Amino acid sequence: MDNLCSDMSDTHPLSQAIIAGKRKEIPALVQECLDAGESAQFIVESRLVSAMAVVGEKFKNNEIFVPEMLIAARAMKEALKLLEPMLVEAGVKPEFNAVIGTVEGDLHDIGKNLVAMMWKGANIDVIDLGVNVPPAKFVEAIRENNAKLVGLSALLTTTMPAMRETVKAIREAGLAAKIMIGGAPITTEYANEIGADGYAADAGSAVDAAMSLLRS
Amino acid sequence: MNRQYYLDLAASGLRMPIGTHLVLHEHADHKTIPNDGRRLGSVVAEAARRFRCPMAIPLMDLKLEKEAMLSARGIAPEDIDAFHFDEIPADSGEVRLTRRMNAVCEAIRHVSEETDLLPVGMGIGPFSLMTKLISDPITPVFLAGSGATAEDDDEVALLETLLEMAAATVGCYLDAQIQAGARAIIVCEPAANQVYFSPNQLKESHEVFDRFVIDLNRAIRNQLATSDADLIFHDCGELTEGMVQRFASLDPAVLSLGSSRRLWEDAALVSKSTVLYGNLPTKQFYSDELVPPGRVRKLSEELQKRMREAGHPFILGSECDVLSVPGREQSIMAKVEEFLAV
Repeated sequence: MDNLCSDMSDTHPLSQAIIAGKRKEIPALVQECLDAGESAQFIVESRLVSAMAVVGEKFKNNEIFVPEMLIAARAMKEALKLLEPMLVEAGVKPEFNAVIGTVEGDLHDIGKNLVAMMWKGANIDVIDLGVNVPPAKFVEAIRENNAKLVGLSALLTTTMPAMRETVKAIREAGLAAKIMIGGAPITTEYANEIGADGYAADAGSAVDAAMSLLRS
Repeated sequence: MNRQYYLDLAASGLRMPIGTHLVLHEHADHKTIPNDGRRLGSVVAEAARRFRCPMAIPLMDLKLEKEAMLSARGIAPEDIDAFHFDEIPADSGEVRLTRRMNAVCEAIRHVSEETDLLPVGMGIGPFSLMTKLISDPITPVFLAGSGATAEDDDEVALLETLLEMAAATVGCYLDAQIQAGARAIIVCEPAANQVYFSPNQLKESHEVFDRFVIDLNRAIRNQLATSDADLIFHDCGELTEGMVQRFASLDPAVLSLGSSRRLWEDAALVSKSTVLYGNLPTKQFYSDELVPPGRVRKLSEELQKRMREAGHPFILGSECDVLSVPGREQSIMAKVEEFLAV
């Protein structure tokens, strides 16, 4: 098992268990890594992030679908639940943070939740504001957390104008956060039209799009 | 009712949107109209006349059933949209129609008594209603598909209990609409799709899909049949062939599918006694880049040609409710008019 715990690839048993969504196996596998001397930070950055990257890739390639993605994310959360107290104690923070929410008037959260999970899986500290979020609440959360990225979600064509209002409010508040939008009716054209910085077509590509914005 | 009615409409070349939302939003007081049955009935009839459709299609408001379930439990109106059950309720609760539901029934009665249009009712399907009652319905559906039972998983137990409650609420509301005069009911199951049911799991078995979706909708179909009302089944979600086959097994009078489906291919999965309806990409009508003016005519002509070649009864229409988007109303209406004119 020592050899397995020094394996850097996504073939590591903990990564594999996350990819397969085997939540019940997670505590023992995390403990094995810790017993082998791996730090919580190393486990997150090497095991969890690589596992969720595989999940995102499989999703993009239609090898897995939303349910499998959620099950994997649930397993990842199980690992994070065990590791987060250690990360806090060691003063380790993710390099980036983000605020995410579904815009005012829209109650749909599946897409937003998937993106939030994928961002967490990429080791971004995600503040999830939930659904039906007014523009002022986005502005407040970005300011309060000094967020580098904000994700706006909308499923309905009828709530797309609220997305425009939110982008406007963030810009008028002079906040530097990069704004990424997504949702079934959203297009690159619409992102450009309302002044957003980026757009992701699905949760699988949301990580690459976010990293590209954060590192630009 | 007489299934020939829908086949005749298809043969006549009918084109129709589900477009009451568009017409409602032309009224300055569109927020209050849905509470007033007679005015709502007038708007439904106005939409039918406007779109030259003999069926009076109601407003697609799929929030009503959740509101009824939760208001009966004392949940405050402002909390209903975001409310989710996190444990099994102590009792299944009494089903009481809300003011809005009663207005829908009164609108149906108005159409039935004051017009020559076919009064049509509408409701959400039990599965889709259940998905609104739990914060994460996808995981327990997947777990159930992996063999977990209510006995060994609390999330599955919660899902199954809420599904039963949802079915009871839907059944009660649809019955009220039939009593009010509805001759057909549109049952909307947009959540019965690939987001909630993994195609990988469905390759192994459709047992969970059948149990959570098809069996409950078959019960609805039987309920409608006892009142001589027809089933119009609608699902605009991303579907597998297996899902379409199972919807077809409900033997609906009309099957309405989203724009992700190739209806001319689905025709092979559906009995010729079921009219296929749809499926222009009306959710994209707001965007002139996605659907440029003039493109709707081409799409419509191509769809009609392919359906003629497939030899399946077909009504050209929208993939779902055509929603009025603020600032884009004229563009959307122009595109609706474009396909009506084909």
